[in-house]
Order: sequence, then C-alpha cells, then structure tokens
Amino acid sequence: MSDKYIIQIKNLTKIFGDGVEIKALDGVNLDIERGEFLSIIGPSGSGKSTLLNLIGILDTPTSGTVLLNGVDVTKMSDKERSRTRNRELGFIFQYHHLLPDFNALENVMMPLLISGVKSSKAREVARKVLDEVGLGDRMEHRPNQLSGGQNQRVAIARALANKPSIVIGDEPTGNLDSKASGNIYELLRQLNREHNQTFILVTHDERMAAKTDRIIRLVDGRVAENSINSG
Amino acid sequence: MRPVYELYIAIRHLTSRRRQTIFSVLAVGLAVMGLMWSQALMVGFTDEMYSKTVDRMAHVTVEPKEDENYIHLYRKLTEDITHIDGVVGVSPVLAGAATFEYKGKNKNVAIQGIKVEAHDSVLHINDDIVEGSFRDLEVTPNSVVVGDALAEKLGVEIGDTIDASFPEANPAALKVVGIYDSGTPLDETIAITSLSTAQDFLDVSNVVTTILVRGDDRERAQAISEEIDTMGYPASGWKETNPEIIQTLKLEGTSNTIIMSLIIIIASFGIVSTLFMAVMEKTKEIGMLMAMGVPRRSIMIIFVMESGILGLLGAIVGVMVGAALAIQMGSYDYGMEVMAGISSIPFVVRIQDAVIIVLFTFLLNLIAGIYPASRASKLKPVEAIGRE
Ligand SMILES: Nc1ncnc2c1ncn2[C@@H]1O[C@H](COP(=O)(O)OP(=O)(O)O)[C@@H](O)[C@H]1O
Ligand SMILES: [Mg+2]
Repeated sequence: MSDKYIIQIKNLTKIFGDGVEIKALDGVNLDIERGEFLSIIGPSGSGKSTLLNLIGILDTPTSGTVLLNGVDVTKMSDKERSRTRNRELGFIFQYHHLLPDFNALENVMMPLLISGVKSSKAREVARKVLDEVGLGDRMEHRPNQLSGGQNQRVAIARALANKPSIVIGDEPTGNLDSKASGNIYELLRQLNREHNQTFILVTHDERMAAKTDRIIRLVDGRVAENSINSG
Repeated sequence: MRPVYELYIAIRHLTSRRRQTIFSVLAVGLAVMGLMWSQALMVGFTDEMYSKTVDRMAHVTVEPKEDENYIHLYRKLTEDITHIDGVVGVSPVLAGAATFEYKGKNKNVAIQGIKVEAHDSVLHINDDIVEGSFRDLEVTPNSVVVGDALAEKLGVEIGDTIDASFPEANPAALKVVGIYDSGTPLDETIAITSLSTAQDFLDVSNVVTTILVRGDDRERAQAISEEIDTMGYPASGWKETNPEIIQTLKLEGTSNTIIMSLIIIIASFGIVSTLFMAVMEKTKEIGMLMAMGVPRRSIMIIFVMESGILGLLGAIVGVMVGAALAIQMGSYDYGMEVMAGISSIPFVVRIQDAVIIVLFTFLLNLIAGIYPASRASKLKPVEAIGRE
C-alpha cells in the first residue's frame, strides 16, 4: 500500500453481455496520485465511462481490483460502498442528474445530510460551495428553472460539498457550449489547486485534456497512452 | 442527532407529485371512512340490540342452593348482594304456578311475587304499565297485575277480581290493579303480585325462589355472579342464561369487519401501483442517490415511508370523516321509527375503533410499500443512472 497513490487499478477487466460478450475494459493498470488532475480520453466506446464507474464503485469489475486509499472496493459491503461514495467520492455526470424535487441549495446539501451533518450546518456549507461555483444568487431555484450550465455548476457544487478526496466527472461539460465548458474547466482546475482534491475527468475535447496534469488514452478497453503534460 | 434525510426525501417526493398523493390519500381515506362508518353503525346497532334485550332482563339470576327448592335467608342475602360493587338493583322473587279463573274462563299462569320498588330497579317494570299501577300491589291486599294478552284472554279489566287456585295452594281472590305490556310472549302467562300475596297463596313464608340482580354495566354480570357464588348461592350472568344473544351479534359484526378490511386492503394496493410508477419515474434519481452514498436500506426506507405516510394520512382523514358522518347521521331525527322504538340511527363512535383502524391501515401500507421499495433498492447504480 502506498500513501502516494490514492487510486491503484490492477489488471481491471470488465465484460458486458451474457450472449455476445463485450470486453469494455481489458486488463487496465493505472495508479493515480493524490491531488492529480487527470483526463481520460479515447474514442467513443473505448471504455472510459466503464473505467470511471468502477473507480466510483457504481459497478463491479469482472476481474482485477480497484484500491481506494489502499482498500479493495470490490470487497466492500453495500454499507461500506455507500459510505465511501458519500465521503470519498464526488460525481459529476454529463447530465446533471440533480434531484428535480429539490432546489439548488437542497441538492447541494444532500450529500451532507446523507453523511449525517445537521441541516443547519449542511445549509451553511452548501451556501459556501454554491458561492464558489458562482451560483450564490440562484440557490432557491429548482433544476427546471436553471440553464444547462447553471445546473452543471450545481452538480459540481454537490460533488464537492462533502469535500471528497476524489472527484470524478464523465464528460462533465459534454452537454455545454464551448464557452460554458471552458468556464467549468477553469472552475474545476481552480478548485483542484485550492483543495488538493484528485480530479479524474473523461472528455473527448483534446484541447481541454491538454490543460490537465496527465492524459490517459483508452483504445478498445486498454491504456494506449499515459502521458504527463509538461505545460 | 442524525437528521433523518430519508423522511425528508420521502416527504418531498410526496409533496412534489401532489396529484397522485392526494388521489392515494383519498382512495385510502374513502375505504377507511367506510370502515369507520360501518363500525360505528355496528357498535351502535349492537348496543341497541343489547339494550333492547339484555337491559330488559336481569343481569344476574340467583337460585336456591342445590337440593333446595327455596332461598330461605333471602333478606340477608339480598342485603349482602346490594353491597357488591356495581350492583344497582336486587329483587327477591317468589315464583309459582296458578290457575286463574274469571267468568268461566281458565288460564294457567306463572305467578311472580315481588317487591315493587326492588323489582323495578332490576327490570324497569314501571315502564311497561299501560293501565293501573304496580304500586297498587302493595297498597291493595290480594291484588294482581297481568299482561295485556292475559287480560284479553280472560276478559278482565282493572277492578275485576280473578279466582286463583292450584293444588296445594291457598285459593285466593285477586283484584286486578294493573295491566302491563312488555311486548313479549310472556305477557300471556305472567301474573305479578306482591311478595306477601304470593307467599300466602303458595303457602310458604319467608322464602323466595330467585333473586334477580342488575349491575350498572351489563358487562359486569360475570364478576357479580362470581361474587354471589362465593356467598354459597349458585348465580349465573345473562351470557350463561342466554348464550344465543352473544352468538348472533358476534357473527354479524365479524363478517362486516372482514368485508370492510378487504376494501382497505384493495385501496392500499392502489398505493402500491402508484409507488411502482414513482419508482420507475425516479430510476435515475435513485441511481444518483446511491452515487451520493445512500445505502440500499435507506432507499428502501424512503419508499416504505412514502407508502406509510400515504396510508396514515388516508387513515386519519378517513376515520375523521367517517366518524363525523356517523355522528351527524346518528344525531339526525328521522321523525319516524327506523328501528323498533327509535327514530334515529344508533351510531356509536368509539375511540378504540378509530385507533385500531388507523393502526391497521398504517401497518398495512407499510407492508404494501415493501415490494416497490425493495425494487427501488435493488437497482444497480450505473444502470439506474443510465448511459446517455
Ligand atoms: N451496461 C452495458 N451493457 C452492455 N454493454 C455495455 C454496457 N456499458 C458499456 N457497454 C459497452 O462497453 C463498451 C465501453 O463503453 P463505455 O465505457 O460507455 O465507453 P465510452 O464511455 O468510452 O464511450 C462499449 O462497447 C459499450 O457499448
Ligand atoms: Mg462514456
């Protein structure tokens, strides 16, 4: 076990389908350092989402292991998984997946409430995070009253609210125009520097990827490129 | 303290899909209202039946000791029974047979010698008098009160004198001082005299054949009769003397409750289908909740809570409306007889019925919620969130 690596992926394989088998991941090995800002790129269908879902304990691998802080997530009980998702992981998806019945503030409070924080404290924290993502004036709005970019910012605030050590984003800007998506990237980058959280972002925007610390390129479920960005 | 986010989410789900929520609550409410209403009617009806039957009979009957024909020390025993908790009336009665003759017409009757005030405290006989008075029995020596049917058979009226006789009895001329109508077939066979008149006629002194007792509550009969048993005299409550009364009323009550409970079960399963739809609609949300760290158990709790809350609200609304309706209809005077002798429907709303119905409905809905809730909790997070 190494303190340097927050995530260690060994020989990770994921096969879908019972009739026709699809090998979405084929023996992936990958170590990720604490505080890294990393991008995963690759053609559609190359296994990026599958890899991210396995890191996020949203799915279970066919074989291989994922260690988070040295703990094998495939061996966790549902309770431990839930707890790890709640405390250690923040998710941002291409679609915001906010809870439609709750306003922005309540959505951001949710991970805190789930972890057992008092609602007054959760409210205070959520306000601060929403301010940080620039949505301090839209807290009482529900998702259907906000634009795509605004909802995505709420989703980011929600992912960050519980101060997770790992934030994973599956094409978090894939649904936004280039100006909005540029702004979101800047925001994530800034948060990464301020809080030393680990960011793993799937993107197919090579220009965005070029701004991250490291690029992992997947092709057919294998790591085809693993390059540190100098710039 | 840990904030209960499950409840928070459940309530928000319900308030957000207001239409379905109101509909579900009304559906359960309607069924519960029916049960509450019919329960109030049942209880009221049963109560009415009891007061029409049981309240007109002695709650407890005391008999002579085994192998004896009479209760000998009846004054002392009567006094002792009076002091038992809950006893409101004690009446020593001497019963015997007689043949009545008036103007050539004969009729075999059962004579009952009573103390008027004591007997009235047990059987409210004064309510049944249609002519003359029971009190005259104790004013006029050798007098008798007869049932209206008996009076008709013999063709006697107030003031007429009947010849009473029987083997081994002292023949007597009894003056009719009253006619009563209890509405039962007994009106044709029972003739009532004072206790001393009966004792003279039957040629006994200082004895009675039974002691009749009334309690302040008919349900107390058992306790009272047991107490009298300990005094050495066999006593039996009205349930022992008339077991068929209980049987009839129980049967009707049970089948009614079963039917109404079935209706509530059906209404509750309406909630299940609403909940299933909600689970389908919210699949992505459930996936996201799991991604945020909600364990499967809590997903389950959220949806069971939703079902439970709907059931509880429906039950409370239903019980309140049902009770209000029953009370309203019960206090309405229809101006004509709806049942023998009463002009309003006898609803009785009991708190314990309301509580039981609410608890029953609430529990039922918790159970009904388990299936859709477990479906929600078994979703796989990735699949629930979906690939887009
Ligand atoms: N639940 C699934 N069932 C069947 N096949 C799947 C499933 N999820 C992903 N796949 C397949 O696995 C491969 C990798 O998918 P994915 O990880 O979503 O790729 P990417 O995110 O890089 O576009 C694709 O061929 C996809 O069709
Ligand atoms: Mg993908």
